[in-house]
Amino acid sequence: MDTQSYMPVPPGVGMEENFLSLDDILLSHERLPCKTDTSFPKLGFLEKTSESHDIPENTKMEMPLWMAKGLYERKRHVISVDLPKVYREGWRTVFGADANMVDLHKMGPYYYGLGSQILHFENAENPEIAQSILQTFIGRFRRTMDSSQNAYNEDMSALLERLDCLERALFRSGQNGLNAFQLWERGRASQLTASSLVTNYRKRKITELHS
Amino acid sequence: MFCEKAVELVRELHRMTDGQLPAFNEDGIRQVLEEMKALYEQNQSDVNEAKTEGKSELIPTIKFRHCCLLRNQRCIAGYLYDRLLRIRALRWEYGSVLPTTIRFHMCAEELEWFNQYKKSLATYMRSLGGDEGLDITQDIKPPKSLYIEVRCLKDHGEFEIDDGTVILLKKNSQHFLPRWKCEQLIRQGVLEHVIS
Amino acid sequence: MADALSEASDLSGGEESQDEDVLTPPELIARLEEAWLNEKFSPELLENKSELVECVMEQLTHMEENLQRVKKGDLKASIHRMEIDRIRFVLSSFLRSRLQKIEKFFPHVLEKEKSRADGDPSFLSPEEFAFAKEYLANTEVYLKAVALRHMPPNLQSVDMLKAVPEPCLDSFVFLRVKERQENILVEPETDDQRDYVVDLEEGSQHLMRYRTIAPLVSSGAVQLI
Repeated sequence: MDTQSYMPVPPGVGMEENFLSLDDILLSHERLPCKTDTSFPKLGFLEKTSESHDIPENTKMEMPLWMAKGLYERKRHVISVDLPKVYREGWRTVFGADANMVDLHKMGPYYYGLGSQILHFENAENPEIAQSILQTFIGRFRRTMDSSQNAYNEDMSALLERLDCLERALFRSGQNGLNAFQLWERGRASQLTASSLVTNYRKRKITELHS
Repeated sequence: MFCEKAVELVRELHRMTDGQLPAFNEDGIRQVLEEMKALYEQNQSDVNEAKTEGKSELIPTIKFRHCCLLRNQRCIAGYLYDRLLRIRALRWEYGSVLPTTIRFHMCAEELEWFNQYKKSLATYMRSLGGDEGLDITQDIKPPKSLYIEVRCLKDHGEFEIDDGTVILLKKNSQHFLPRWKCEQLIRQGVLEHVIS
Repeated sequence: MADALSEASDLSGGEESQDEDVLTPPELIARLEEAWLNEKFSPELLENKSELVECVMEQLTHMEENLQRVKKGDLKASIHRMEIDRIRFVLSSFLRSRLQKIEKFFPHVLEKEKSRADGDPSFLSPEEFAFAKEYLANTEVYLKAVALRHMPPNLQSVDMLKAVPEPCLDSFVFLRVKERQENILVEPETDDQRDYVVDLEEGSQHLMRYRTIAPLVSSGAVQLI
């Protein structure tokens, strides 16, 4: 319902990024293993290990996704992007065996987001990666949904800890629905309440006073 | 690496998931703008060098810096735009007068945006017909009854209801009041809706 | 709700029913509720309903005036008061949904309005159009003043059309069919599916991609629920 007035720009769907989405800005800060296919004069200071003035061709370095996307060109060789290990065949087999066992927060926390983004870079394994991400999601979705719909007032932190960002958002929206339903069942849906913004500001003021 | 300051701005805002408005990080913005200035100047001089001396090997470096410039621009735009969305929410949750503590978290331009937004919204609501228009920031939940039981959470002073009666809203006092007169005070945490 | 409303029309003295082609109050409110649910559940901004809004506002004013004449403490009075509150809630919620979407998609909403052919109905009411224009200008001025004007010359503007996301027409919506439809083309969900056609029976309910049935929402053949 229209009770929460702050509605942030949502992250993009699939391979899209939303320019103004804070989630997407943070996702694109995730690092990818890259290799330079040309030299970058005068930028040697960015590589802590090297003493040279330039970043020479064939240097292996980690780059944030935004930088890799900006420099990468299909036709010209500027950089090449390697797969992070969670998307490589070894890990894909693990995910395929039982996706529920994996701690996607530790592996991610943007496992699905970053996985969709690396499809922008040409790689022979892209179809398998796309398939693996989708299957992993499907394999885990039931459990995420079940627990978000049935755990009322329970401590779910153990499960929540192992969820990817996307799954956490889904879990939260399920919980919001459940809570709203419970309120309605107890005849409290129409109760007027203080704005959560207001109460949270007040809480913060109190903690500031005490600290 | 470049753009670390810019992403720090975004992180700082992103951490407050419930829509609260942290203090405007003027210093952070200034540092990003300085980094942008430096990147731009280096690029300008390398572009000249590439042109006059035919040094095409500088192109990847120029492109690298340009990516960083775009990234900084995106982070700042994202930071500022998200703050506007939070400021907008304040108008709907608090009403048109903001508590001083929150105003302190806003920069001059944000206050200006808020005032403009307030004005646009008021003009729109007045245009909806009737004598005074329609205040669509009220009636957030479907009404169940005309009167509701409320408890006063803090001293608020005198309060006039429809028929001209004036009551005193004193901390811990309980009243039976017309629902639509109370909605805003409940949202602001002055009154609490009591359901038996 | 309908009962109290027909009473409300008794109270109003029935002047309105003399105009031709004018809805009875219960019909008017039914229209409002349809428009409200459609607007609430559709991902994009729908056509404006200025006339409907105006009629409902008039109806509310009317009911308020009549209420002044009823004796205090009359049970009828509180029923009518309640009815007024409920209509006002639906109307406010409807207008709120619209304004929220205008704010969320303002560059796209304005672009659509700009490219609208003469004679096509406008999606925005004149007041909403004014609001959207002010919102855009206000936001652009703000971004410029705080940061963009301090940036290098080639980075001093942000294309709001590209920066602000468009409504996601691929989201799924629940709907009820009001007029039977034949041969609705449904696009495949995955690569190994093919598209297919369905018939939508009157009164049946479905969960479908908004894009597929968007024209049926605007024609009134289906109702979002």
